Amino acid sequence: MLLRPEADDFRIIGRQLGLISGVTAIAGLIPFVWALIAREWKPASSFLVMVGVFAMAAVAARYIRVERHRLEWRHGMVVVALTWLLVPAAGAIPLWLSGHYGQPFDAYFDAMSGLSTTGLTLIQDLDHLAPSVNFWRHLLHFLGGQGIIIAALSLSSGLGATTLYYGEGREERILPNVRSTARFIWLVAAYHLVIGVAALAAVAFFTLGFRPWRALFHGLNIFFAGFDTGGFSPQSTSIGYYHSAIFEAVTGLLMVAGAMSFGLHFALWRGPRRAIFKNLETKTILATVTFTMLLTMLGLAATGIYSSFTGLGRQGFFQVLSAHTGTGFTTVSSSELALWGGLAFGGMGIAMALGGMASSTAGGVKSLRVGLTIRTIAGQVKQVLLPERAMPSESYYQNGVRRFTPQLGQAVMTVSLLYVALFLLGTGVALGYGFGLQESLFESVSAGASVGLSVGVTDPTMPLLLKVTYAVQMWLGRLEFVAVFSLFGFIYSWIRGK
Amino acid sequence: MRRLMLVVTSLLLLATPAQAQSTIPVSELTGAGAEYDSTEVTVEGELVGDIGERRDGTVWTQLNDDSYARDPLRDSGTHDEGNTGIGVRIDGSLGYQFEQVGGYRWRGPIVAATGIWHHHDPERGGESYLEVTALEFLEAPRLLTDSSSSFAWAIGAILIVAAALLYLRQRSDRT
Repeated sequence: MLLRPEADDFRIIGRQLGLISGVTAIAGLIPFVWALIAREWKPASSFLVMVGVFAMAAVAARYIRVERHRLEWRHGMVVVALTWLLVPAAGAIPLWLSGHYGQPFDAYFDAMSGLSTTGLTLIQDLDHLAPSVNFWRHLLHFLGGQGIIIAALSLSSGLGATTLYYGEGREERILPNVRSTARFIWLVAAYHLVIGVAALAAVAFFTLGFRPWRALFHGLNIFFAGFDTGGFSPQSTSIGYYHSAIFEAVTGLLMVAGAMSFGLHFALWRGPRRAIFKNLETKTILATVTFTMLLTMLGLAATGIYSSFTGLGRQGFFQVLSAHTGTGFTTVSSSELALWGGLAFGGMGIAMALGGMASSTAGGVKSLRVGLTIRTIAGQVKQVLLPERAMPSESYYQNGVRRFTPQLGQAVMTVSLLYVALFLLGTGVALGYGFGLQESLFESVSAGASVGLSVGVTDPTMPLLLKVTYAVQMWLGRLEFVAVFSLFGFIYSWIRGK
Repeated sequence: MRRLMLVVTSLLLLATPAQAQSTIPVSELTGAGAEYDSTEVTVEGELVGDIGERRDGTVWTQLNDDSYARDPLRDSGTHDEGNTGIGVRIDGSLGYQFEQVGGYRWRGPIVAATGIWHHHDPERGGESYLEVTALEFLEAPRLLTDSSSSFAWAIGAILIVAAALLYLRQRSDRT
């Protein structure tokens, strides 16, 4: 029997959403102050409106009286799903007021793309955008990647926090409790922020010859988009703007760091480091990166797009790394990427769909699930080949020996199949509007796996339904289905429950 | 009749500026760049972004030829498309001075850049860019005005003040 949610359930959800609004209001003050200092008056006024909306929501939520004070699993899931719908709505205010979007939904699309660390964009005339607004786009990556939920957890009492943590698509706790895990995640981010921004700004200043302020601006924004595997860039030509192998190398390192699970970061931090290579997840990602890299390189070599080995190696390597880590940076134009047919298209598509590691900012099916899916299939084949009474013992190594149960295999296969369904959804809608199969599939996988690479389908002129479809794909893909399905279930039980 | 047609054709050819004949859209270079590889082309547009003065004596910047190049959205431009740009490399020995390029505050200089188009240059790891040999400045940079919205300021201020008052009232109620 379906139980209709009580008024207190809504109050608990409202209180939590208020807390997250408060965190986002504080984050919104950063670009506001930036705009004031830079004397960008129009952007400053738009940030004030946004901060005001978040602040009002936060204060209003404090008036909600909660009797139970107990955040249950379903509440947490609904909070996470709603956070990823509502924060982009208010976060889109400065984007829309900047005048760089043709439709209000285009601004919402970009805010969703930013928060979900996808990187697809509908912005127009990016190269004349106010630096403070540009910074806000990239800060959205940081908020979404590190997790506004994580930020809220770091500040909250931790009551029922586990549910929020898992709802955001994170797989494992690194430290004994969620609050300390959340703080560790922010510590890792802060460490990378200092090193990453310094490295990128130094390259931009010393090698590329940018002015100091501009070097810092590029370093900061590319760090947010790279480490959080986002894909927005301060200029319209993405990483191709810099025309620098060193800049690409530093960006590549940040993309890899962003696609690594925080468990792996913890192991690198505290050791033992050797055990990292025993992990199923590490082995899987190394294998899939090598495989997709080879596939793409062979495809590019066959088409003859690049006449030299260095060109093929550098461009192919960066694009595949960007696709596999779910970042979406590119050094070639979307019209050129669209020409990467055959094996190169296959390699890029598979790399995007597989994604990075679990509990990282990357999207896609994720390596641990890929590894476990292969284990499931291999296990079933083994079962068929062995004598009927034989019981093959199944275990795998992931930060210790773990038992591989049929239930685990089933759960992993289900999520993997859901991703396939998600990719097909976007492909079908794009096909319906007359786009080709290859470009429809590429763009849909890019949206659903939170990548952000584009072959030109994502454009301000594309149909509204397709924009909505991609936005939904970004939402579902980032939260890995469970939280969104829980929200649907909550609404359904509210309507039909007793 | 045939002589008359020849005269008219000749006059038409003379009336068309030589530069306009050879100017290539940036979208042509990004979409079908291989066809122009290692050939001299002229592109016309706005210099935007940064002036990167490198140690090898070259200057790198970006040239956009989209509709916003002449009329940015902040100015009188209308919503049209995304930006379309290519990287341009200018040898410092050519002696061009760049005081301002396009961005938030400025519509950058409009130039006609003539040079060799490098499509996937093997010497630069497959990068595509225009190696400029001659630059003609067609329009000077233009300062863009920042029109602040008093309505947005008012709404924002009301929301912040209201939130602050409600918060203070909550705190006083609790004590």
